[in-house]
Amino acid sequence: MKMPLFTKATAWLPALILAIVIPPMAGGYLVSMLILICIWTIMCFSLNIIYGYTGQLSLGQAAFFGIGAYAFGLLTVKVNMGFWPAFFASVFIAGLSGFLIGIPALKLRGPYFILVTLGFSVIVGVVLVAWVDLTGGANGLAGMPRPSPVPLPWGGRLTFDSLLPMYYFTLFFLVLIMVFSHRLINSLIGRRFIAISYNEDLTESLGIDTMSTKILSFTISAIMAGIAGVLYASYNVVISPEMAYFARGMDVVAYLVVGGAGTMAGPILGTLVLMAVPELLQVIPSLKTMINGIILMLFLIFLPSGISGGFKALKGRIIRSRTSPYAGS
Amino acid sequence: MPVLEVIGLTKRFGGLAAVEDLAFNIQTGELLSIIGPNGAGKTTLFNLLTGFYSPTSGKIIFNGIDITGYKPHRIIRSGMSRTFQLTSVFQRSTVLDNVIIGQMSHARVGLIGSIFGIPAAGREKKKVIERAKEILSFVGLEDKRDKIAAGLTEEARKRLSIASALATEPKLLLLDEPAAGINLEETSGIIDLIDRIRKTGVTICLIEHKMKMVMSISDRIIVLSYGKNIAEGTPEEVANNQEVIKAYLGVRDAAQS
Repeated sequence: MKMPLFTKATAWLPALILAIVIPPMAGGYLVSMLILICIWTIMCFSLNIIYGYTGQLSLGQAAFFGIGAYAFGLLTVKVNMGFWPAFFASVFIAGLSGFLIGIPALKLRGPYFILVTLGFSVIVGVVLVAWVDLTGGANGLAGMPRPSPVPLPWGGRLTFDSLLPMYYFTLFFLVLIMVFSHRLINSLIGRRFIAISYNEDLTESLGIDTMSTKILSFTISAIMAGIAGVLYASYNVVISPEMAYFARGMDVVAYLVVGGAGTMAGPILGTLVLMAVPELLQVIPSLKTMINGIILMLFLIFLPSGISGGFKALKGRIIRSRTSPYAGS
Repeated sequence: MPVLEVIGLTKRFGGLAAVEDLAFNIQTGELLSIIGPNGAGKTTLFNLLTGFYSPTSGKIIFNGIDITGYKPHRIIRSGMSRTFQLTSVFQRSTVLDNVIIGQMSHARVGLIGSIFGIPAAGREKKKVIERAKEILSFVGLEDKRDKIAAGLTEEARKRLSIASALATEPKLLLLDEPAAGINLEETSGIIDLIDRIRKTGVTICLIEHKMKMVMSISDRIIVLSYGKNIAEGTPEEVANNQEVIKAYLGVRDAAQS
């Protein structure tokens, strides 16, 4: 039961190398797409903690994304805070709001919890539009700073004004969140999350405080969504209320389900596929949601365990047909 | 000294009293069985004792502490554990993982320690796994350790659910129909297991419909009917009690007698 930092490094290392090596060779447009893919993959990992592993479907992740982004925007633009203090403060605020919403919401189960998270998301969206004095209303906020320059060991400074350094910055956070997720899920705490997703009453009857465990899971997921929000605000320089709309939360659900909830590869695969397909088809933006919806429905009907779940099943079948003379019967 | 005292316990669902003004106690080390026709309130009683339902009125005193209104995990941590009537195990987990989850209520796990893999967290995890293996050997599932629970026979799943409950290290174990849906030979295996659990010093409260089993292993029996305690005593006393015979077989028609 040893738990190395990277299990299956053989599969992950080439992917990481590709993610590092390819972008410098690609054009600016692709790099900006990749930055967004990294950010939405972090959102997927956020949902993966509370839904994929703990089994509580939250449609409100976009709200924490929005809270993180707006907190960062307000702290940097209106309070003139530096990048890093504002970063940590915003992530803390996102986590705190997850904690506070989680306390009443997680008392509810199944569809009732889902509805509360949906309602919360709608409320946050409405507040962002309506509280014009604070949030700038529908116009949003502008002028968030990029990360502060990092001094390089060989002299000079690494600045994040151009796309490529910003891409590596978001990629760094994505990798950080993946390592964190992996370690969390394989710890005794992660086992508790998974136990709750399988059978909440049984978990409680084995002496585990399911309520606190769920709140912990939800808070961690809100922190991750907050990080994604801050990264987005810093990258995009402009934020508007649309990004906190519940429809964005639905997108994340679609990415995760298509990729495979409760797996490590699922968030990456789902986000890649669902963000790349409309791009490759060159459809108008308003059709994207529809295409997402169609793909999501097809997956729910034919492959509910998602792409990575499908791979696992396929692998299992191949291994079985090799070893068992009764395979296929 | 009683390990559990129940005083005036009542649970109403709307107008229906599932458990009504129930009073009894369980002595340390004994095996008390609770029997009664379907719908008598036996499982409701277990749900009340373990905090899954909160009583409409009454008190539950466990180990001298009033635990009425405690949440289930708190009651279980204080030393009362249970199994469920519809054999409840984590279907998609391995047998070993099932027991590990039961062990976890005693493991001290910190978030930071788990993430950064400090040695203490690793040691804790190792200890939990070792203890889980011991418990599996005790219930006779050591050879099925790495099997997925969904693939087990009903009897093995019953043993597994008992193993998970034992993993919480109970002083009092509530077993809800541990022999339902298994054959005679398997039933005697479960009886043997219950005997061995008693010998480790665990007090047992049993709900069971298999009368032969109840009569042979119980020290004392309580009979429930419509949520009320209608008889209490040794197996012989209960078997010859007129009230009990009436509750199970119905009142003989006056015209016929």
